Amino acid sequence: MECIFSKQIMSKDQHNICHSKTFESLYQTYAKDIRRFIFYKTQDIDKAEDILQDTFIKLWDNCGKVHYDKAKSFLYTVASNTFLNTVKHDKVVKKHQQSISSQHNNESPEFIMLEKEFMEKLERTINSLPEKQKEVFLLNRIEKKKYKEIAEMLDISVKAVEKRMHSALLVLREKIGNV
Amino acid sequence: MKNQESHNANDTFLAQWLAGEISDAELKTLVSETDYKSFLKLRKGLDVYDELESSTELSFVKIQEKITRKKGKVRSLNANTWLMGIAASVVLFFGLFSILGNDIVTIETNFGEQKTIALLDGSEVIMNSKSTLTYDEDKWKQNRTLNLEGEAYFKVKKGSAFTVVTKNGEVQVLGTQFNVITVSDFFEVVCFEGKVSVKSNNESFVLLPTNSVRRINGNAIEKWEVSSTNPSWIEGESNFKSVPIRYVISALESQYNIQIHADAIDDNLIFTGSFTHKNLNTALKTVFKSLQIQYFEKEKGNIYLGLK
Repeated sequence: MECIFSKQIMSKDQHNICHSKTFESLYQTYAKDIRRFIFYKTQDIDKAEDILQDTFIKLWDNCGKVHYDKAKSFLYTVASNTFLNTVKHDKVVKKHQQSISSQHNNESPEFIMLEKEFMEKLERTINSLPEKQKEVFLLNRIEKKKYKEIAEMLDISVKAVEKRMHSALLVLREKIGNV
Repeated sequence: MKNQESHNANDTFLAQWLAGEISDAELKTLVSETDYKSFLKLRKGLDVYDELESSTELSFVKIQEKITRKKGKVRSLNANTWLMGIAASVVLFFGLFSILGNDIVTIETNFGEQKTIALLDGSEVIMNSKSTLTYDEDKWKQNRTLNLEGEAYFKVKKGSAFTVVTKNGEVQVLGTQFNVITVSDFFEVVCFEGKVSVKSNNESFVLLPTNSVRRINGNAIEKWEVSSTNPSWIEGESNFKSVPIRYVISALESQYNIQIHADAIDDNLIFTGSFTHKNLNTALKTVFKSLQIQYFEKEKGNIYLGLK
């Protein structure tokens, strides 16, 4: 009997966002995309995380009103509006700060803009790296392995690992072009 | 590239720079101005690429925390849910509660989880770990009745009778705060405010603040007084007063998602004390050390008890 009961609840609640399992699965589906979407606007990963959290809390607060099929557009709209509100707030803060602090240095690395196109190109280029370079590159960047660890794993010298990394960076630089 | 000639010998400097072994300033002397800018952007792009690809699990935990802090509300199911849903039928839940219709709300907590629920009338329920609460939303206005398995703390808004049905008995109130535990054959009600009436096995009791009643394993009801103004588990601690150890063990299991194998000990040993919800080792130590019971984790999540 218990089993039948839970099955019925499942099918009934599958599309009910108030059901925590449904809510979680929506999060799993859209969280990364929304974080990325906001990142391209804010250029700040921490801010993107904050907005991501606020967006899903809003979805939870409105879980009874939002239809399951509309959840995606709800999320993007809320994320976008939340971003615009923070911009409004930031402008006020900045205006205040500018009167005290000196001009920003546009040369400094913090102000490098990362556009969506650039990031997509970067991803494509990484994927198209020659196999040996790609292996070393991903071990270092994604798995966070040190050159020495990679050398041990692949049974090659540290120098060889560095050479591959160096070449990979040259390839990326060339394919991505001037910025 | 500027200086390329002279650095042909060094075909690893970009790797060293990316690893932070060569500074940006040094790189600037090794490559042209445009290359330098490109490499800086590349590095930033790579850092961000990792972050954009990184897991979003941590944020979800934060979302859950924020929702709990805001005291997440239980809301109605979509009005047309029943159209999509399976035809309504009489469902027996735990063979005890007959539930009819489609607007049964079920709220469950998992191992170590607590949930705060705002009910439609403004009453509040705080559920302890591994508990299940169900109620019929349609009938809520006429009839404030909830079914409970596990443990929960109720803060009831004044109004019509508010009833908590458990398989060990019924608890009824008008507007008050009280805690109910009903885990298998363990049943305990503590009144913190107002007046609570408890019916169990054809016996009735009226509890006033600080009064508590308990029935274990169908034995006679025991009564005593508590001194706290809130159940301790809300502050992250479970408290027991002269309770057979097997109930303490099952509370530990629900709190920490572990299995405790107690075959080697007498599970009727009486325990008085508390354990924390924050650290399993401390919790095990406080419960079992005081009873001179040895415990060890044989496999992950499996704790075996033995006598000294």
